Amino acid sequence: MVKRREEEWQRYYAAWPLKRPVMAKVVSDYFVRLHSHNFAWIHSLHYGVLRAHLYFRPTAPAHSTHHSAVSHLSLAVPSSATTMYQAGYHQNTAPPDMAQLQATMRSIELACSSIQMHANPAAAEATILSLNQSPQPYQACQFILENSELANARFLAAGAIRDAAIREWSFLETDYKKSLIRFCWLFIMKHAGSHEGYVQAKVASVAAQLLKRGWLDFTAADKEAIFLEVKQAVTGSQIVDVQYMGINFLESLVSEFSPSTSTAMGLPREFHEQCRTSLELDYIKEFYCWAQDAALNVSHRIIGSDSAIPEAKVCSAALRLMLQILNWDFKGKKNAVESSKRGLDVYCGDIKPESNFLGRSECILVQPGSLWRDVLISSGQVGWILNLYGALRQKFSCEGYWLDCPLAVSARKLIVQFCSITGTIFPSDGGYMQRQSLVQLLSGIIQWIEPPNAVLKAIECGRSESELLDGCRALMSMAAVSTPLVFDQLLKSLRPYGTLTLLSVLMSEVIKCLMENLSEEETWSWVARDILLDTWTALLTLDSSGHNDLLPPEGISAAANLFAIIVESELKAASASAFSDDNEYDYLHASVSAMDERLSSYALIARVASGATIPFLTTLFSERITRLHQGRGTTDPTETLEELYSLLLIAGHVLADEGQGEIPLVPKDIQAQFTDVVDADKHPVVILSGSIIRFAEQSLDPEMRTSFFSPRLMEAVIWFLARWSSTYLMPPEENKGNKSGENNNDAQVRLEHSKNALLSFFGEYNQGKLVLDIIIRISLTTLVSYPGEKDLQGLTCYQLLHGLVRRKNVISHLVSLDSWRDLANVFANERGLFSLNAAHQRSLAETLALSASGMKTSEASNQYIKSLTNHMTANLAELSCKNDLKHIAQQPDILLLVSCLLERLRGVASASEPRTQKAIYEMGFTVMNPILIFIEAYKHESVVVYLLLKFVVDWVDGQIIYLEARETAAAVDFCTRLLQLYSSHNIGKISVSLSNSLLSEADTERYKDLRALLQLLANLCSKDLVDFASESLEAYGVSISQVVFMGLHIVTPLITLELLKYPKLCHSYFSLLSHMLEIYPEVVAQLNVEAFGHIAETLDFGLHHQDGEVVDLCLRALKALASYHYKEKGMGKVGLGSHATISKDPGGKVQEGVLSRFLCSLLQLLLFEDYSTDLVSSAADALFPLILCEQNVYQNLVNELIERQTNQMFRLRLTNALQSLTNSNNLSTTLDRVNFQRFRKNLHSFLIEVRGFLRTL
Amino acid sequence: MSDEEHHFESKADAGASKTYPQQAGTIRKNGYIVIKGRPCKVVEVSTSKTGKHGHAKCHFVAIDIFTAKKLEDIVPSSHNCDVPHVNRTDYQLIDISEDGFVSLLTENGNTKDDLKLPTDESLLSQIKAGFEEGKDLVVSVMSAMGEEQICGLKDIGPK
Repeated sequence: MVKRREEEWQRYYAAWPLKRPVMAKVVSDYFVRLHSHNFAWIHSLHYGVLRAHLYFRPTAPAHSTHHSAVSHLSLAVPSSATTMYQAGYHQNTAPPDMAQLQATMRSIELACSSIQMHANPAAAEATILSLNQSPQPYQACQFILENSELANARFLAAGAIRDAAIREWSFLETDYKKSLIRFCWLFIMKHAGSHEGYVQAKVASVAAQLLKRGWLDFTAADKEAIFLEVKQAVTGSQIVDVQYMGINFLESLVSEFSPSTSTAMGLPREFHEQCRTSLELDYIKEFYCWAQDAALNVSHRIIGSDSAIPEAKVCSAALRLMLQILNWDFKGKKNAVESSKRGLDVYCGDIKPESNFLGRSECILVQPGSLWRDVLISSGQVGWILNLYGALRQKFSCEGYWLDCPLAVSARKLIVQFCSITGTIFPSDGGYMQRQSLVQLLSGIIQWIEPPNAVLKAIECGRSESELLDGCRALMSMAAVSTPLVFDQLLKSLRPYGTLTLLSVLMSEVIKCLMENLSEEETWSWVARDILLDTWTALLTLDSSGHNDLLPPEGISAAANLFAIIVESELKAASASAFSDDNEYDYLHASVSAMDERLSSYALIARVASGATIPFLTTLFSERITRLHQGRGTTDPTETLEELYSLLLIAGHVLADEGQGEIPLVPKDIQAQFTDVVDADKHPVVILSGSIIRFAEQSLDPEMRTSFFSPRLMEAVIWFLARWSSTYLMPPEENKGNKSGENNNDAQVRLEHSKNALLSFFGEYNQGKLVLDIIIRISLTTLVSYPGEKDLQGLTCYQLLHGLVRRKNVISHLVSLDSWRDLANVFANERGLFSLNAAHQRSLAETLALSASGMKTSEASNQYIKSLTNHMTANLAELSCKNDLKHIAQQPDILLLVSCLLERLRGVASASEPRTQKAIYEMGFTVMNPILIFIEAYKHESVVVYLLLKFVVDWVDGQIIYLEARETAAAVDFCTRLLQLYSSHNIGKISVSLSNSLLSEADTERYKDLRALLQLLANLCSKDLVDFASESLEAYGVSISQVVFMGLHIVTPLITLELLKYPKLCHSYFSLLSHMLEIYPEVVAQLNVEAFGHIAETLDFGLHHQDGEVVDLCLRALKALASYHYKEKGMGKVGLGSHATISKDPGGKVQEGVLSRFLCSLLQLLLFEDYSTDLVSSAADALFPLILCEQNVYQNLVNELIERQTNQMFRLRLTNALQSLTNSNNLSTTLDRVNFQRFRKNLHSFLIEVRGFLRTL
Repeated sequence: MSDEEHHFESKADAGASKTYPQQAGTIRKNGYIVIKGRPCKVVEVSTSKTGKHGHAKCHFVAIDIFTAKKLEDIVPSSHNCDVPHVNRTDYQLIDISEDGFVSLLTENGNTKDDLKLPTDESLLSQIKAGFEEGKDLVVSVMSAMGEEQICGLKDIGPK
């Protein structure tokens, strides 16, 4: 079925010179509209019944005269695309040919109906498309719009006007353009009451798009004339439908002018930007006022009437428009300081809690600037909208209004949006006016959320939750525009308590609700909780932006109460889920990644009240441990284990931040709160950390381990240790405060003191070494005593150990610990750890090798690496020398041994550092021969082959830039032999298997191999860019570029078209190729015919690839080739030599030179095919040198192009455009930066000028 | 699906030298495994836990390397699985008989005549055509647990 459709498509393309994306867009646009607006259609499709003729349609009297004409002509209706093409074609000036218009209309209607019934859809699509693509179809479209009975035909006609006008815009007359817009406007006004709203909406959006297309050409008077009518419709009209349509039009217009929602027009980005700026400066405020007037005018009628009246529709549309305008991304003259107070946060040195606040919450700050003050602030609009909504609330019991009716929804949204207004719109009066406005808003909003328990109870009994949620959103917006102190004060003028208390109580109630309904899917309470959590985050992240702007005491205790409830609910959820075997609840992965965000928001709340919350956590933790020991042997500990698991995660989040590659500091709030603690071992943070570490240490006892330390609990322990140790364990000295010097006041001195006490407690000269030893012994236990627990061991290897060796002052102690030596010894010399997952072994090897830089001297480091790897390399070498290798190689035990050893060597190789480079080079050098032997022995075992390749890739990557010339020669020679061997095993190989999935696995394996090979070549390339060798490579007769080209020549035949469908492979292949052509064009010139041909074909293929990035890479390569040739020629050299000239191939056929071939295909692409406009610049860069190289060929092509053009007017335009392409902007014939820029500009304007008609005619 | 049972079963008919024990946790995707007495290639491994605080187990989805049937197994990841010894040998193709059997040249100069060509029609005709053109074809034969099958072909170029 699908295949047949595909064939039809192809036949269609053959018959009609158009490209798929255009058609696809037209048709998909059409169907999207269909789905969103017209259920009846879907319905009729379903039953195979066409009901279109039953649709109600408001008719103008004039239409009736056409009905008979339609039926007369119906027999003569042409349905083929070609006839359509003629039928649609009218010059503007030609008198309307009624019969033909009728015919066009009929065939479009027929096409609509047959698509609906799925009868011959291909032909119908062709007909519809031909209307869109025909030149100047305006009359036909207008005729259809005015006369067709079928709403969908009218919808399509509107779309066709848009497509054709955008395409032909540059040669339509100005008056005609205006008349098109006017036609659309009058149409929506005339049919404002139509029931097929989607047609009206489409026509309005067509008008908006055309107006935007001409925005920079039309005079101010033209625009004024149009907007005068719009204004009259919106504010002056008494007819509800007309008002509604007018607002609708403005809505389309605003969304068209806003860059994020604008429609593509094939114009440069600057155009959209200019339109945006112009609208913002000149019109958008007026639009807002019109909408506001319209809403004001009808609002008293709404308030006055007891039941729903039609004006409500206008009012809610106007409110929607106002909301849309407030959402506009105001760029106007913004004060740099005001531009965003959060902008500063991003750049300040603190490590922020994981989530970027703005990224997560939906809260957008509204900053329209001071010009809007009169409209939004001084005019008392806030009071009006609050009154309107307040009056609506009274009516919710009446018919026609309810909590979620469109008017109520848009009013609430607007109120929430008002809460996030900030910036220069408020006068600089120390925030007084903004506070006043927020208090006023809060006085209205408070009714939605207070008293919290009553509101929540009502929702549980079936009331809609949307008002509560909007109330929460409003709180979030307020939090985003004010500091915690201001935020807290807002409510004080209305209530005896502050906003923070309200927030805390509200959130506690929501969490209680969640707790009661754990199993139920009450999504609203989740949503409310998340919004409120975001509110806290907004308040508290602001707080940590440098100043110690603490919450008021009342706020702190509110936070502490809330945190207690949060922890209670988390623990309850934990023990409730302890026995559920549901994998979805398995939340290690979830909590360490997705739920992280939530836990870190909890942590923010806990930290502001850490004086209370940290001791609270300690108490909870020791309670659970006591319970565990008391119940030992008698009760099932699972629930307690799960609670401990949750507590560990929470404590980890509260105490420390995620480093994200940096070394995190002790969170500011925690630092600031314990100024009165003098004794380090009485510091609450030390007490909590200590009790957790002592608990973790118990896992070393085998008996305790089997009874309590389940793999899951151990995962939390390891996760906690990893997170905790990166902040508190042996912190670098510079983190500590300056001891003296500046004239610190007393409070600051005490702060410094308590901070230093905390930091040095687990420091190098105190308990640090002891704790480090415990951590290493626990790690060894998880690796050895939890066989097969992949997740646990993964955490140990990647997070804990890897995190430790990244830190300089930790590794110097690490390498002196017996426990670390034990670990290294077990790993290198015993077989036990072979049972670890292979990737974990690799990581462990890397970690151990990295720790070598903790040694005092570089000799010691190299010696350490040697003793770590000796055993492994010897093992491999010995194995490779065995006589019966061929037979034993494929035994599973040998296979496992070889793969483990290779993984480990790869891990060591990727730990290359200058200090250990020598030893790692030798390690690789020792296994070079064994590797070549294994490549042969395992040629059928693709898993091992991949490991071998990856080892070499990583080893070369780590080593190449350090290698001396002699060593490089050896490495390069080795890589070449590896490539040759690999190619000889794999070229022409066919896998046979009955199983499709095994065959596709084989494909994937080949893909991975090739990617590794390309990576290897790319790594070799880097030698030419960065080289620390003391002598030059030439002395040893090694040329990296030649080697890489040879490598490419070996690899290219292995890359099939099938494999290029893997995007990553495709990218790395083309980026390597274009890199080579850009850097070494002279080597390309020396390639033999076959190798060069290969490259040229590849480029040609890439030029027509769907992926823009690949095309871009090819264009860059072309630019490099042509520029090289042109420059060399200029200096009297051969350049690309015979590759660029016309030659004869062995068969006697004349071969064009490669550059002229590319000139033709590039022009063809630019003029007639589809591509992203982003590519035009790089295409210009390639085209310019190509034209300069092959001026004769270019001239011939140009002449041919002009000859082909039959229409005199177009011919003239084309000639002129071509002329200015190469002559305007003072373009000269040198290839320098300025000229490239000029040519880019020229090409852009050339394409805008001619593509419109070249592609259709 | 009890795990002990599984082990007992596979040891019974697998023969000691044909398979090797290996910890389930170390068997990766694209590795080999014996499931229900059949040599398989693993196409998917996932881990889960027996209850929240229990131990990990591996869930293998694998494909029989000879019959292409899909088989599944769940094994605690610290237990051992049987891994088959899968051997692959290259032979030069000497002749194709009418009934689809091939004649292969072994290392020590003898011929091996007990294997059939793959059944895929297009591949078959391709091989036959290549063979008739006088191309040198090499056939890879995969053997495991007492079974053999042709698993790959390679053209090592015309003479």
